[in-house]
Amino acid sequence: MSVATKSHEPGAAVAEGQMQRRRVLAWLSSMGLFGSTVLAVISDLVFFKPRVTYSPSARFSIGKPEDFPPGTRIARENDRVCIVRDGNRLAAISTTCTHLGCIVSIADTGFACPCHGSRYDQDGNVTGGPAPKPLPWYKVSLAPNGEIEVDKNTEIEPGSYFNV
Amino acid sequence: MSNPIRDLPTNVWNSIFRHPLPSNDLERAQTSFSNFFLHLHPVKVNRNTLRPMYTMGLGLISLFLFLILVVTGVLLMFYYVPSTTQAYDRMLDLQGTVAFGIFLRNMHRWSAHGMVAMVFLHMCRVFFTGAYKKPREFNWVLGVVLLLVTLFLSFTGYLLPWDQLAFWAITVGTSIAGYAPLVGSQMRFLLLGDTTVGQEALLRFYVLHVAVLPAVLTLLIAIHFWRIRKDGGLSRPEPAPARDVGVVTMRIEPGKRVFGLQGFVRGPFTKIGNTPEDSVYSWPNLLMAELFVFALTVSIILVVSLAFNAPLEQPVNVMHPPNPAKAPWYFLGLQEMVSYSAFWGGIGVPGLMVLMLFLVPYIDRGTKGVGLWFSRERLLANTIFLSLAILNVIFIIIGTFFRGPNWTFVSPF
Repeated sequence: MSVATKSHEPGAAVAEGQMQRRRVLAWLSSMGLFGSTVLAVISDLVFFKPRVTYSPSARFSIGKPEDFPPGTRIARENDRVCIVRDGNRLAAISTTCTHLGCIVSIADTGFACPCHGSRYDQDGNVTGGPAPKPLPWYKVSLAPNGEIEVDKNTEIEPGSYFNV
Repeated sequence: MSNPIRDLPTNVWNSIFRHPLPSNDLERAQTSFSNFFLHLHPVKVNRNTLRPMYTMGLGLISLFLFLILVVTGVLLMFYYVPSTTQAYDRMLDLQGTVAFGIFLRNMHRWSAHGMVAMVFLHMCRVFFTGAYKKPREFNWVLGVVLLLVTLFLSFTGYLLPWDQLAFWAITVGTSIAGYAPLVGSQMRFLLLGDTTVGQEALLRFYVLHVAVLPAVLTLLIAIHFWRIRKDGGLSRPEPAPARDVGVVTMRIEPGKRVFGLQGFVRGPFTKIGNTPEDSVYSWPNLLMAELFVFALTVSIILVVSLAFNAPLEQPVNVMHPPNPAKAPWYFLGLQEMVSYSAFWGGIGVPGLMVLMLFLVPYIDRGTKGVGLWFSRERLLANTIFLSLAILNVIFIIIGTFFRGPNWTFVSPF
């Protein structure tokens, strides 16, 4: 190599070719390094996102329809839902405040959040405070064993009841 | 005749401490230069740097509080378990059975609060003295990052006692993150490792609090300090124009200046205007000042920790948020703003303020009034900064003292 760079006659072309090759190799290796960095960042993100969480399932059964007589309005604290039965119609309304995730309590007028004072009516519509969205309604269905199933993964249109 | 046995103590001592206690200027310089812990200091410092009312030692106090936090934090780690079933019991054990447990926890808690306050005040000092100007722009940016890391460290530590205060403050705090556009809910999920605050969140916050963030903070502090030296030491006023102009008419004799190797280095490294008259040796002047600040910081933390216990509320009850649920005091300004609008209060306004902090040294390019408190030339910049700082403090005061159940306005009197 040192011979090639020192010579002036036929070696000049060789040196030129070598410079070209060096540049290409340098470019390729930088691309390789850059690519590995990007891959490392992506794999870190994938690593930090759990594939399975240890919290209870978002789909759970809450018992037979008879357990909830008409007029029931009961908060299931562990599941963070409020079960409402109006005549033959059933609904599951979230009790997690849409503002900052506190648990709303059942009040005479609907729901009230203790953290920042958001208030909701009986159907979960915002009536006051900083909450940006109404409380979501979750899908309710009847499992083959006759029990009512709530699916917190599926939000439905507020006001759409399930007929038992 | 040298006798290896007889000279052993002297030889060992001299191999560790290469210089005797300095008694002349050369040795003072050598001591600062060759000691690992002291070489952070320049050999000589400008007098202005040592004026207590110029820096108020705020950055140094922040560093010493961080050191106290590292020591007490490592000690607390020996007894703490990041588990939702054990964490709270461990807190009770710390208070009841571990020797000095409650005292160490007090020191850790009050130092953490103190560090947040001191880092903020240090930032105010740097702003009001215009010390972020060229060539110190990037060190200001590093400082803003240090403030954010300090806040995040404090926030992650807040969850660890696993009491009601911890659980609901983190629930509220991470929900704020969820309002960030596009990546908000993903970020929240990554931070918590789950959809709600639980065991995964506790473990993640623990690892962030005891390993990741302290390491990041240590590295950034090292760069921050290194850059103080490389950017020409602490900022100081321009040397006053020679008062004797017009008096000396015969000839102006250039001062005798000796250039070492450093004299040939280009850039801010060369300390222009640092004439022998206005600089003093770091040993013992700077060292004594630092020791004084250290003693003061440690004594205040000790006294406060003896007098006040760190709060510990009821164990976590996922069903019943305390009413009102309040974040740590330095986030109560944020929580107060969040009670008006979750997006603007939690993400929009704070995000804009942090962005402004980052950009300040690149927008405000004036060179006047550096190194002076509230200089007249910087009236506009200082007014804007002071208003925003006071606004934040007012929000914090409202959130802390004037908010009762359901976040309604109450009078503390």
